[in-house]
Amino acid sequence: MEIQNFTLSIIVTNKAGVLSRVIGLFSKRGYNIDTLYVGPKVEDPRHSRIIMTSSGDDATREQIIKQLRKIFDVQEVKLI
Amino acid sequence: MRLCGAAITIETLIAHNVSDVFGYPGGQVLNIYDELYKRSDKIRHILSCHEQGAAHAADGYARSAGIPGVVIATSGPGATNLVTGIATAYLDSSPLIAITGNVSSTLIGKDSFQEVDIAGITMPVTKHNYIVKRVEDLEDVLCEAFQIAVSGRPGPVLIDITKDAQTGETEFRGGLPKPAFAAASPKADAIRAAAALIEKSEKPYIYCGGGVIASGAGALLADFANKIDAPVGFSMMGLSAMDYKNPRKLGMTGMHGTYPAIKMNEQADLIIAVGVRFSDRATGNKEAYQKNTKIVHIDVDDAEINKNINCDVDIVGNLNVSLSELIKAVKECKHGDWNGLAEQFKREVTFAEGFNPRSIIREVRKHTDADTIIATDVGQHQMWTAQYYEFSNPRTFLTSGGLGTMGFGMGAAIGASIAHGGARTVLFTGDGSFHMNLNEFATAVRYNLPIVVIVMNNNVLGMVRQWQTLFYEKRYSQTEMDRVTDYVKLAEAFGGTGYKAETLDELQKSLEAAFASDAPVIIDCVIGRDEMVLPMIPAGGSYAEAIYSL
Repeated sequence: MEIQNFTLSIIVTNKAGVLSRVIGLFSKRGYNIDTLYVGPKVEDPRHSRIIMTSSGDDATREQIIKQLRKIFDVQEVKLI
Repeated sequence: MRLCGAAITIETLIAHNVSDVFGYPGGQVLNIYDELYKRSDKIRHILSCHEQGAAHAADGYARSAGIPGVVIATSGPGATNLVTGIATAYLDSSPLIAITGNVSSTLIGKDSFQEVDIAGITMPVTKHNYIVKRVEDLEDVLCEAFQIAVSGRPGPVLIDITKDAQTGETEFRGGLPKPAFAAASPKADAIRAAAALIEKSEKPYIYCGGGVIASGAGALLADFANKIDAPVGFSMMGLSAMDYKNPRKLGMTGMHGTYPAIKMNEQADLIIAVGVRFSDRATGNKEAYQKNTKIVHIDVDDAEINKNINCDVDIVGNLNVSLSELIKAVKECKHGDWNGLAEQFKREVTFAEGFNPRSIIREVRKHTDADTIIATDVGQHQMWTAQYYEFSNPRTFLTSGGLGTMGFGMGAAIGASIAHGGARTVLFTGDGSFHMNLNEFATAVRYNLPIVVIVMNNNVLGMVRQWQTLFYEKRYSQTEMDRVTDYVKLAEAFGGTGYKAETLDELQKSLEAAFASDAPVIIDCVIGRDEMVLPMIPAGGSYAEAIYSL
């Protein structure tokens, strides 16, 4: 189980509390956040983009992506 | 039609066929309660003694009826008192709708009287939650909340509504329900891969969980078990998915599973897990659990795949669809010797005679029928009920599996009784658990619900004390309560009836009287403090390390 760094692009609905939900998931399940950037999606102000680098083994990475997709206000999760 | 937010809330509940809500009034839900008062012809409110009891009641309502349960509480302490109830529903995937009032949006963030950030507090224990500050958003949010609560894997949703969103007016569009989100369709190659593993297996074992009940797939599961000729073990949450008369049913598996379920699970070369999440209480040591067996995991929640246990094949989708496809794809199998082994394990089990937990449960069962809803609290009595009560129908066993909430049962029994038109409901509890929320016995009396409360009274905190006996050299730290509560007088003080039973004969007579009555009854069953729940797989231990006798 090799620990690797990876970067996620997460598109969320631009609503109050959404960032809390995403961050809360990481603290609740014990995942790492190494860096974090949040900003409006230029072409679509109703959505925001979160770019996050995290680290973990393959299983953790798979879990992070799946758990993020379960958050109602998360529209898209991509590994970049 | 222009309505105020409070009226929109109640009208939207009515549009969602909500006929009963549970709750407790207070300053920031006065407007909602005013609308409830006006619409009492359409919607009944059950007043609890404490918001926690109301939350468990709404949860019990949801679990027993398979539709969302609704609880309403005021801001601040009213809201925080719901938290244990919401977390209980979350861990057991129950569709609970919690509505709280909050201070006016202009007072939010000022540490106003009875102000608390309940949306923040409940974020980790809800499927989703909202704070509504504008009345224009309210109708959509409420409809979406129901949609989220029931779609896919069900779960609780909280809606926090500020006072000004309740008093403000806007156009109401009818509050019509939104259709549930569609679940993923199982992939054909996954079905084929699972069928191939099943056909190759010599010792297949089906592990059935609460998801089977949630999706109403019990009959399909029995068909599947027949086709592949496999025995079935259950998580506690899945226990009522199959009739006890079905010879394939081995009972509960895991830490306090039955002897046949543990032995068969341990020896299986293939586990087909349906609607389970492989709780640590069910698997024990995870490495040992999956060492000599292949695993097929079938669930609606993709995030459960490979979360706790790595599987060889996963089928993600609605269980009804997945099981139907799998039944079609798999060839009929025969496993005479393997099922014979299960029968042998069943025959090897012996039980003690006399007035003990098992005989109490068996005696109660003589008075109940297949539809009687059984609630429990948490601890030894809960495990004994799971081990010994003969369940026939889905949604008849209400118990806090994931969170393990002592005090769940009294509220849950009330909710179940209300959901079924004031039906007879039985609560098995312990003297420890019962003391946590026994105030709700007053609620059962107030609404004249025929709930029979069986208190397995050993005057100790039995389950914790059992661990102290086995793993802490009998240092009984704070588990010997030695309270002098008189349950007969307690029942009478609340306006119900109480009996005390110290022999099977006394229990029989008490049960006859209790089941002849239309009012709530407590039966204090005095049992020994050294009664143990066995088998027991020590925490983190493997199935091979199960303790069967002492």
